[in-house]
Amino acid sequence: MTETLKIYAAIILSLWGLALILLAYDVLREFFFRKTSRPLAVIYHVLTLIGFGLIVTYTLSLWIHLQRPPMRTTGETRLWYSLFGILVSYSIFLVWKYKALLGGGLFFGILFLAINLSNPEALSNTLAPALQSNWFIPHVIVYILAYAILGMSWFVAVIALITRKNPRWGGKEFSIADNLVHIGFGFLTLGLVFGAFWAKEAWGHYWTWDPKETWAMITWMAYLLYIHYRLVHKKDNTQALWILVIAFVLLIVCWFGINYIAVGENSVHTYSTN
Amino acid sequence: MTGNPENRRMWSGVWGYRESISITGGLFLTGIALGYALKREVTAVQWPANLFFGLFFILIIGFSAVFFRKSDTFRWLSGKKNAICAIAWYLIVITLLGFVPQKTEPSEDLLYRLGFSHILSSHYFLFAQVYLLMSLGMVTARRMNKLSVRNLAFLINHFGLWLTLFAIGLGAGDLQRVRMIINKEYPVYEGYDEHQEATGDLGLAIQLLDFSIDFYPPKAYIIEGSSGEVLEHDTYLSLKEGEYGEINGWKIHTKKYLEYALGMEEQYFPVYETGAMPAAYVVAESLDGSIISEGWISCGSYRFHGRYLELTKGQLLAMAQPEAKSYRSEIKIYTQEGDIFDAGLSVGKPVSVNGWKIYQTSYDTERGRWSEISIVELVKDPWISVVYAGMIMMVLGAFYLIITGKRKQE
Ligand code: HEM
Repeated sequence: MTETLKIYAAIILSLWGLALILLAYDVLREFFFRKTSRPLAVIYHVLTLIGFGLIVTYTLSLWIHLQRPPMRTTGETRLWYSLFGILVSYSIFLVWKYKALLGGGLFFGILFLAINLSNPEALSNTLAPALQSNWFIPHVIVYILAYAILGMSWFVAVIALITRKNPRWGGKEFSIADNLVHIGFGFLTLGLVFGAFWAKEAWGHYWTWDPKETWAMITWMAYLLYIHYRLVHKKDNTQALWILVIAFVLLIVCWFGINYIAVGENSVHTYSTN
Repeated sequence: MTGNPENRRMWSGVWGYRESISITGGLFLTGIALGYALKREVTAVQWPANLFFGLFFILIIGFSAVFFRKSDTFRWLSGKKNAICAIAWYLIVITLLGFVPQKTEPSEDLLYRLGFSHILSSHYFLFAQVYLLMSLGMVTARRMNKLSVRNLAFLINHFGLWLTLFAIGLGAGDLQRVRMIINKEYPVYEGYDEHQEATGDLGLAIQLLDFSIDFYPPKAYIIEGSSGEVLEHDTYLSLKEGEYGEINGWKIHTKKYLEYALGMEEQYFPVYETGAMPAAYVVAESLDGSIISEGWISCGSYRFHGRYLELTKGQLLAMAQPEAKSYRSEIKIYTQEGDIFDAGLSVGKPVSVNGWKIYQTSYDTERGRWSEISIVELVKDPWISVVYAGMIMMVLGAFYLIITGKRKQE
């Protein structure tokens, strides 16, 4: 199965890599020369979608191979992130016609798939009793969706920070970022509450300030801060963008950085590494 | 600071960030100082005092929302800038919690005295929570007069969160979690609380009738003979009778698999007896077919040694301890009222008795299948339905956020 991953990942990475380059070329050309090319767009769309089809196929075959939902290890969640990242960015791209966002999806898709490729995990078919719950799949899926959407908001914030001073830029970033955060925050809330219901059922208590839970709350509060900050500071402003950038860093700590900090050692929720 | 009419003197006119920051910051420092001076941790309030506190709190919020809704102070307290400061303060405190390792035992070092290594029971965290609840409660109360879809969504989100935090906070004192180790010899009527102190009679007693575990088929792995290190492998090989698999360049055929076996002189026999262990007869062949090695392997048990198979001089094939797929305790429950009944307990399927919920949490993992005990947790959580009511509102509010995104500002 790992060999299969290597083959799949190599193909997907080349497809998406090429798509990203073409997309970047298209976006930059539009930016500087106000020109776009339809055939070029068709090519990177097709490349992206084929890659997407392949990653879906791989994920499903891994599911079948392991005889359990592949959502237990960090690597497995990264796989879903690549998948959802493309799905989310592509859908949002269709809604808001904002090309750079597709770039964000490709960027994260490539990044997390490449991380998986560079440190393959030992596969395992086992699932501890507490994980065999109806909450398992919805909990992980809404979280990964939230992470994918909020990752896009990070991407948009970074673009806005870079291009802020340039009058040529469209300036759609703020409304897109706001929308992304509201939607992503909604999923984050679902993840948090589903997790609480699940923990109650499995361990008898819904919230224990376990390090993973603490970090989930930190992430949640950071985005809550952004939402309310924007209610006061409605005009474009740099602080709000920085909140988004930092909030995503906190999110990454919660997702897998926690394995590397001292307090994370005694968490019951950290993804297993074997 | 942005958004502040700058020529205003502090504490005059319409209050904004500066006042909020001064007050939250001041409370933060006061909380730290208080903890330092009192040398005491915050303990949760119990029934019925928590109910009175709660009602009093609601009364203050309601009263100010009704009679002072036009006042500048109320508008500021329930306003956006104050909310931002309240959220930021809370965020700062829990971020500390996310970085500073917490202690379970009181200690004399400065970090502890200042309340940074027992944040959850510190005064300043209590203040931050109450401040957040106050700000959130006031804005909710203030907006309760308007009826529109958007306002309804606002109320569901804010009241839902408020109710959740409120009920968790007040309920903390009434929450009881008791760890109990039950056995087959006699009914156990007391357990241990979070501080490992005996609880005394709980009004019910539990006896273990039978404990059973269902395991996944054990996995095979390869050890470097000289260093004793386990070879890394990125796939897995389950030892199931009749199956073939591949690991680290070896094709492994599991010819026979015994879940309960005892070994004698290189042979294993099916025996169902305390301490019996899984064993497998395997044929290992190197990928190029040049080396073939076969024999029994076993992971051993708490009573007996395991067994490796030598593949080459440098490499050994071993069996990992099987992982539990599910475990279950059949128990007998005796209540104070004289009721006696049997129940089955497994992870995620608690049993309710007399206001307690009994959860299966663990067992003697050293002995595994042959565990003589079962570890259960008894939880009494009288506020749970209020907490859930709040959480369900948050779920509905989240759906609203997901569906609408951020509406265009007027
Ligand atoms: C589940 C958590 C929360 C969510 C999803 C949320 C979301 C929102 C949204 C979307 C708005 C704009 C609503 C509108 O104008 O219709 C808003 C306003 C506001 N929120 Fe929150 N919020 C949450 C928690 C909080 C907390 C914890 C506080 C206070 C500490 C707070 C205080 C406020 C305030 C003061 C406003 C402005 C309302 C006004 O001026 O009328 N919110 N919130």
